[in-house]
Amino acid sequence: MNSRNSSQASSERGLNDFLSSNSLLIGAAALMAFGITRRSKTSLALATAGGLLAANASRSRRQSNASHTRATFLVNSSPEKAYQLWRDFSNLARFMRHVKSVQVLDETNSEWVVLGPMEREIRWYAEIIDDVKNERISWRSQPDSLVQTSGSVEFQPHRAGRGTFVTATVRYTPGGALSKAIATMLGKHPQFMIREDLRRFKALLEAGETPTTLGQPHGPRGVHGSVEQVLFRETTNLAAPQAAHAYSKTA
Amino acid sequence: MKAVCWMGKENMQVHNVPDPTILNPRDAIIRITSTCICGSDLHLYNGFVPTMEQGDIMGHEFMGEVVEVGPGVSRDKLKVGDRVVVPFTIACGNCTSCQDKLWSSCDNSNPNAWIAEKLMGYSPSGLFGYTHMLGGYAGGQAQYARVPFADIGPLKIPDGISDEKAVFLSDIFPTGYMGAENCNIRPGDTIAVWGCGPVGQFAIRSCFMLGADRVIAIDRVPERLEMAREAGAETLNFEEVDILEALREMTGNQGPDACMDVVGMEASGHGLVFAMDKAKQFLHTQMDRPIVLRQAILACKKGGTVSVPGVYASFIDKVPMGAYVNKGLTMKTGQTHMMRYMQPLLERIQKGDIDPSFVISHVVPIDQAPAAYRTFRDKQDDCTKVVLKPWETAAAA
Repeated sequence: MNSRNSSQASSERGLNDFLSSNSLLIGAAALMAFGITRRSKTSLALATAGGLLAANASRSRRQSNASHTRATFLVNSSPEKAYQLWRDFSNLARFMRHVKSVQVLDETNSEWVVLGPMEREIRWYAEIIDDVKNERISWRSQPDSLVQTSGSVEFQPHRAGRGTFVTATVRYTPGGALSKAIATMLGKHPQFMIREDLRRFKALLEAGETPTTLGQPHGPRGVHGSVEQVLFRETTNLAAPQAAHAYSKTA
Repeated sequence: MKAVCWMGKENMQVHNVPDPTILNPRDAIIRITSTCICGSDLHLYNGFVPTMEQGDIMGHEFMGEVVEVGPGVSRDKLKVGDRVVVPFTIACGNCTSCQDKLWSSCDNSNPNAWIAEKLMGYSPSGLFGYTHMLGGYAGGQAQYARVPFADIGPLKIPDGISDEKAVFLSDIFPTGYMGAENCNIRPGDTIAVWGCGPVGQFAIRSCFMLGADRVIAIDRVPERLEMAREAGAETLNFEEVDILEALREMTGNQGPDACMDVVGMEASGHGLVFAMDKAKQFLHTQMDRPIVLRQAILACKKGGTVSVPGVYASFIDKVPMGAYVNKGLTMKTGQTHMMRYMQPLLERIQKGDIDPSFVISHVVPIDQAPAAYRTFRDKQDDCTKVVLKPWETAAAA
């Protein structure tokens, strides 16, 4: 999929590497320094955010600019139960934060609605291309879809019977460095999203619900509290601009 | 409803906020009848724990009546009208941690687990009203609270037992008890307890319940030391004596069999190292002041146990690791695995083994919470424990 733009892609990757490593680290350090020198709540949050950014930036230096991302969680369940919950794609919106709905059309086809920039709905059709009961499921968007994406999930029983390793992989077209930095800050980085989606899958499977504080009462947030809410990624349960970006730039 | 909101460092305010609603199937709503200010709330009040957010509702020690139950809660477990104490840790009951009875390590109750993972590797359970890193759940210093996984946590309290006796099952009694249990007490043991605040008081009494022969209680607040003596402890005032020397003397150069740090990150002390700790904390290069922990490690008998119920939030410097390793010590810690202890300790209260209401010094309407925080923090007015009454008004008090 990348071959036709390989030269452009490689030059952009060079820029990406630079941005995601040096300047991001410097920016993150600046945020931390700013935060630490002011002994207020927001600045502490800023310092924390800076630290997280720095951690992310230094990590992304070590990783290549991979076009896919994956996460693994050990869940307290049999492969059968885990497989069943995932195989009914209408459940995906219950634990994938950026997915608004998935409508199952038939045995292999489904219609996905994801919220993109400005909460704009982006929809595509996906088909299941590999389905081994209790072991793995793979899907991809149909070739004529606006969005090109694919994903898979594997269920592997723990050798000593302590549950099931669930490994999810999502392939996407990587974005630019700036959007990545913003995405990281807002918790929309694909690696972050897939981990959190899988964490919620585990909770849904084990506890029957995913933990949330959205909609609970609170006192006046003010400017500080509102900034912190964004940094702590609690502002919305719906997708934000970078969500669709995680799947394709062409959307 | 009225709620005590954290509005910044040393700035608590009572605000009118919307009532909580059921958000998840296993939620319940509790109408709160009694709620307390915990010593650990003072770490938040003093601004030492990261990821508090302006407007957060405080409080994690509360009890009351169930007024609404989500569709996912079995009526055998909990129903409208039940009178319950709510544990401060939130646990799902189904993950491997919960099934191992490590309730405060629940995998599934912290929606912000990613923040805690950055700091700690893996996230402990969500807590009520105790930072966004640990869930960001609205707390119980309010008239109502939403309780997630309400079929697991809340413990029903029979009518015969007053709020004042039961409410400390929400945190400090089980926390003191687990601190004592973590001391691996054998009959005849001598246990040193740093910190005679409310948790320390329960820890001292729990040590005796578990068979300790002597408890040596360390603090500097006279009324707290007096309270410890009433429980049968010997006491040391760290402003008056050298603690390590005194413990050496009292144990015949052996050291206490176990040492308990019931103080945590804001310990007080003397000298250059204490001054450096304070300076580092001010500069945020070290979040916690581990004076007590260092003393506990140095004081402990060879092969002994250091139990840490005190709250630490992040990193500490100058831990005497050499002493820890060469003396072969064991350290046991953790947020309290509440659901292990609540029912057995309720039974002890019912049997009359202990009346937890002895720690209460102040009972005030919720409107007076901001002043009560200051009084408690500064240990003015002989303040040891504050209970807030959400439905009483200032005039009635």
